Amino acid sequence: MEPKIIDFEQGWDYIETGITALKRHSESLPVPKFTLEQYCDLYTAVYKMCVQKSPYDFSSQLYQKCCETMEEYMNSTVLPALNEKLGDEYMLLRELVERWSNYKVLVRALSHIFFYLQRFFIVRESLPSIETVGMGYFRDLVYNKLQSKVREAVLALVDKEREGEDIDRKVTKRVLEFYIEIGMERYEQDFESFMLKDTASYYSRKASSWIQEDDSINDYIFKSEQCLQKEKERVSHYLHFSSEPKLVKVVEHELFVVHENQILEKTHAEKQIGLGPLAKIFKQHVEDTTINAKEQVLIRKVIELHEVYMVTECFQSHTLFHKDLKRAVAGSDALLATFCDRIILKKWGSEELSEEDIEKVVMFLAYISDEKDIFAEFYRKKLALRLLLNRGVSDDHERSILTKLKQQNRGQFTFKMERMINDLTLSRENQNSFKEYVAKPGIGLTVTVLTSGIWPSYKTFGINLPNEMVKCVEVFKEFYETKTKGRKLTWIHSLGTCHVNGKFDQKSIELIVSTHQAVVLLLFNTKDKLSYNDIQTQLNVGHEDLVWLLYSLSCGKYKILIKEPATETVSRTDVFEFNSKFTARMCRVKIPLPHVNDKKKVIEDVDKDRRYAIDATIVRIMKGKKALGLQQLVSECVQQLNQMFKPDIKTIKMRIEDLITRDYLERDRENPNMFRYLA
Amino acid sequence: MHKLNRTNRDKVQQFVAITGASEKNALQTLKATDWQLEAAFDVFYSQPQPRSNADMRRLEELYNRYKDKYSDMILADGISVLCSDLQVEPQDIVTLVLSWHMNAATACEFSKEEFVGGLQALGVDSIKKLQEKLSFMRSELKDEQKFHEIYNFSFGWAKEKGQKSLALDTAIGMWQLLFAEREWPLLNHWCDFLQDRHNKAISKDTWEQLLEFARTVEPALSNYDAEGAWPYLIDEFVEYLYDKSVVEK
Repeated sequence: MEPKIIDFEQGWDYIETGITALKRHSESLPVPKFTLEQYCDLYTAVYKMCVQKSPYDFSSQLYQKCCETMEEYMNSTVLPALNEKLGDEYMLLRELVERWSNYKVLVRALSHIFFYLQRFFIVRESLPSIETVGMGYFRDLVYNKLQSKVREAVLALVDKEREGEDIDRKVTKRVLEFYIEIGMERYEQDFESFMLKDTASYYSRKASSWIQEDDSINDYIFKSEQCLQKEKERVSHYLHFSSEPKLVKVVEHELFVVHENQILEKTHAEKQIGLGPLAKIFKQHVEDTTINAKEQVLIRKVIELHEVYMVTECFQSHTLFHKDLKRAVAGSDALLATFCDRIILKKWGSEELSEEDIEKVVMFLAYISDEKDIFAEFYRKKLALRLLLNRGVSDDHERSILTKLKQQNRGQFTFKMERMINDLTLSRENQNSFKEYVAKPGIGLTVTVLTSGIWPSYKTFGINLPNEMVKCVEVFKEFYETKTKGRKLTWIHSLGTCHVNGKFDQKSIELIVSTHQAVVLLLFNTKDKLSYNDIQTQLNVGHEDLVWLLYSLSCGKYKILIKEPATETVSRTDVFEFNSKFTARMCRVKIPLPHVNDKKKVIEDVDKDRRYAIDATIVRIMKGKKALGLQQLVSECVQQLNQMFKPDIKTIKMRIEDLITRDYLERDRENPNMFRYLA
Repeated sequence: MHKLNRTNRDKVQQFVAITGASEKNALQTLKATDWQLEAAFDVFYSQPQPRSNADMRRLEELYNRYKDKYSDMILADGISVLCSDLQVEPQDIVTLVLSWHMNAATACEFSKEEFVGGLQALGVDSIKKLQEKLSFMRSELKDEQKFHEIYNFSFGWAKEKGQKSLALDTAIGMWQLLFAEREWPLLNHWCDFLQDRHNKAISKDTWEQLLEFARTVEPALSNYDAEGAWPYLIDEFVEYLYDKSVVEK
């Protein structure tokens, strides 16, 4: 038998009656209890209306009606009820959370009744579920209209609590939960961002008044800490946990960072120590002082900070503060070396720097103890340049500075540097006897003999020297062989300097150039014009190096050679001509070679040196012990090396493996954690 | 024979069948090793075999069959003929075991001494007999101790002459071949890791320690000791596994 067709009007009337009862029920108005049977009947009604054959399938109409019902409920009941309470902030919040929780119950009930719609019609048509639609109405029709009122009400409560009043935390918590329920972004955008701004201005007022009250610094710190503590509690009472870091940051900023200078001044004056929070301020202070400082100024600033806060003992060299200073100079060993260089050369702008500053640097070196060898390498480079380019610093002066460095560090630290100064003294003596040996004017050759391995390694490339120079080199070789036995001379022309007389149209000018540049210039004695290829075949120099030389002579400040075409780069097709029109105000001109950045090379060199040092240490230890477990070997190794640098365990392991490959060590057959020395 | 109990009699027969030794020799060897078959094989194969002129001549003939035309060695061509005579693929792991028996210095070549000495040690003097040995050689891979030896042997065998370490591609190929015999669940990760992060040759120490690692450390790394003396490459591999969340820390 065909079931009786229910028409829409009739069916909806029945359902609507049910819904009205549900509404009253959800608002806890006195109604007869809503029984399970009633639920089932309503569900059945909906079910029947949805499964009737078309045109009696009323799914779509039911969905629409259901939505309309919720919308109408918002406009006719919830919104007016809330509007009534607009006068009283607290009552408004209470009404809001109350209405919201009732409404959630109602929506849930509706979605039960229309469950059949939910399962088939809504899924099939990919419509938003009844709950989504319901929540959306509340947000759009109620919350959006009252948004600013609600926020102000909550913020007013928070402010009251900050001033010490008791507030209804339960309601506050429920309001904030409501924010989160209608979307985390509502919480963050509509509430949290305003709350943070509010907090900032609150504490900004507090901080300036406290500072002015001229309390002792300990009181200030104490009060600030208390505030921070309270804000954290506030989060745990009713805010979302994600707000805590943001809130703490705002408060710290207002209380500490903004006033860091005053606070540190006071601390300095009172010599009081309240370590925890102060360290934070100090860190910020170091960062602020150094962040915008240019490289060289940075070192100066950090040393000043060190001087002011460490040496004066007001922080009693507490490790908390060490870390911050150390971080500020991380990776600036090169700068520190440059700083020394400038002090020694007395070339620090207009500022006067004295030996005392050097002492400060030496003290400060203690702070970069992990990386001392990098500093040493940079210092060595700078020292080499000072010595070789004869910068007018006396050997004694250099020696006295080295003595200072040596006091703070081990002899190994300055070993090479001292040998370098010795080399130079020896060379000067040699030079005198060389002059006697040649005993005739005409050869103006000064040779400085450096011990390889002690000096930084210099890039050197082969070049065909002109005959004049070859002769000089040979004479010196003969001379040197009379003085020493079995030593090999390698000529580093890149460090050489030549004085070349240029006969220009207007006047003769003495050009001070590097040996390499001189070799290029001498080619133009026989010919006025030479192509790049001619020069390259005559000198037999690599492309990169030749470009570098020609660039310095034709594209720099002084154009001794004219390049065709007159571009800013040198290429293989260029032609060069002697610039006879060249002139200068002075009769002696130094033509600089463009600088090659060597920071990377220094780091590489240090790495290499470290590898050798680790290898040597491992072999030394193993030679003594014959067999040793990994842990002992590593710890002995670290112990022996940490005066110079902190070797990391991974590197030591890699070195051990390398030594195994090179047959210095072997892994024990039975115990793989054990290594043996192979004689 | 009549004095022996049944199990021991079986063992003697088995021994004779496998090694081709005389019954008397088998009896002596087995008695000396307390009737442990495996140990007896070890003893038997490590003893210098009595050389008879007859099998020496046959071995020479065999050698000449595979010898390179221009040098006094068996080279790649000869080996591929040998493989097809034995009806095995050249990539078959059994060729590695054979090379191990011959104590071959380098892959893809046998010197006369290695070839003849190896066959003598195996106690065979014809292709047919060698072929019959193949299944025994395969079974040797299942033996923990022998596998260890073959594994360590294969490093020197597979690397280029004159090099100290093993080219990465070759190493990965060898690992895939060897670990096909004994499963190691981290093998593919290991190979990926090497190609991704390392891309350099493998040292002997790393090679040898990897088997140790695969044997002793659980695939979940539960008993991995970060303080241990594992080669740094293996330490890095462990970090890689954590990074990629292959293994939960």
